[in-house]
Amino acid sequence: MILSKEQQTELAECLLDMGALLLDCGAEISRVEDTIGRIGRAYGASHVDAFVITSLIILSMEFDEEDSITETRRVFSSAGTDFYRLEKLNDLSRRCCAAPLPLDELRRRVRHVAEGKKPDSVIFLGGVLAAGGFAVFFGGGIADGVAAAVFAVVICLLQKRFGKTRISTAGSNLIIALLAGLGVGLLCELLPVLHMDKILIGDIMLLIPGIAMTNAIRNMLGGNTISGAVRLIESLVWAAALAGGFMTAMLIVDLIVV
Amino acid sequence: MKLIVIQLITAGIGSLGFALMFGLRARHLFFAALGGMIAWGIYLGVNALLPGAFLPNLCAAAFAVTYAELMAHVQKCPATLYVVPGVVSLVPGSSLYYAMDCAVNGDLVGAGAYGHQTLIVALAIAAGISLVTVCRELRTPK
Repeated sequence: MILSKEQQTELAECLLDMGALLLDCGAEISRVEDTIGRIGRAYGASHVDAFVITSLIILSMEFDEEDSITETRRVFSSAGTDFYRLEKLNDLSRRCCAAPLPLDELRRRVRHVAEGKKPDSVIFLGGVLAAGGFAVFFGGGIADGVAAAVFAVVICLLQKRFGKTRISTAGSNLIIALLAGLGVGLLCELLPVLHMDKILIGDIMLLIPGIAMTNAIRNMLGGNTISGAVRLIESLVWAAALAGGFMTAMLIVDLIVV
Repeated sequence: MKLIVIQLITAGIGSLGFALMFGLRARHLFFAALGGMIAWGIYLGVNALLPGAFLPNLCAAAFAVTYAELMAHVQKCPATLYVVPGVVSLVPGSSLYYAMDCAVNGDLVGAGAYGHQTLIVALAIAAGISLVTVCRELRTPK
């Protein structure tokens, strides 16, 4: 396939869109670089260099000796995880490598994937099951599981609300942990049959950046040290914000009760 | 025995919950939850033979990734989809909580011990995942 100059730019834009989307879905750095490289070569680039870190993509493609293009993209992602779109992008990339789609078709499909999010109800249901399940898993009773599930809905709603504002992940963790801690603490004072620690552990599982931290270490071991280190520090800050919020809530509850 | 059954079932429910939260498609849900459940079973089994914080978590995480690679091959999807629900029940949420609880109540020795355990478990999970990944890459050409 021989591409004109405009088509090369269009391809580069498409690849950057895909890369940014992959990062946003929580893909590993090596997957992003690999996908961009494969699709670029499938469309006739003789050499593709993609440099990806969690906040930036630099893409440079050579088509002939004298014919090359370089584009960069600043990426604002918050280490979310969205396997639904990740899997669709993976399918799209497999298909493109087997037989390249026309460029406007590729662009349309990337946009389609970007807009197709899972409904909130499924995410909320997941939060309810996860928090309730883990509250019982770590030794709570059925009542603790139900209470953790109720607060999971509150946490999911707050996360959705804060996701639309400028607040950072650390800031949102701090506030959500504080509010959830206060709510659970006061509830347990009213209903002493509940175990505050088990309920909070169930809800902590929703907020703890365990996945981000594991991915960070995997990135570093895969040779992507910069991204791994950035994400590791970020997730430590998020965990500290989480701990700060819960600790403040516990202190306030103790003050109110005594 | 009853406790083990409850833990296995709730580990499965928790894994299913995370799979839903992260938007796994319906055809993956059952096997993702099953993976989380078996991973916890492996943890319990290894912990019964060689108790500790490091080795049982490492073995369970290593199993979860092997399982994920296998499922990725069968279902033609990225392995990450199955890694996350598989290891999530190992994530040390409880020791992190008790570390904070001790810190708030002025029990710094307890906070240190729980904090230390949290780190060890996190390291064990990462090591387990990496071991399997490295073994797979040994066979992948450059």
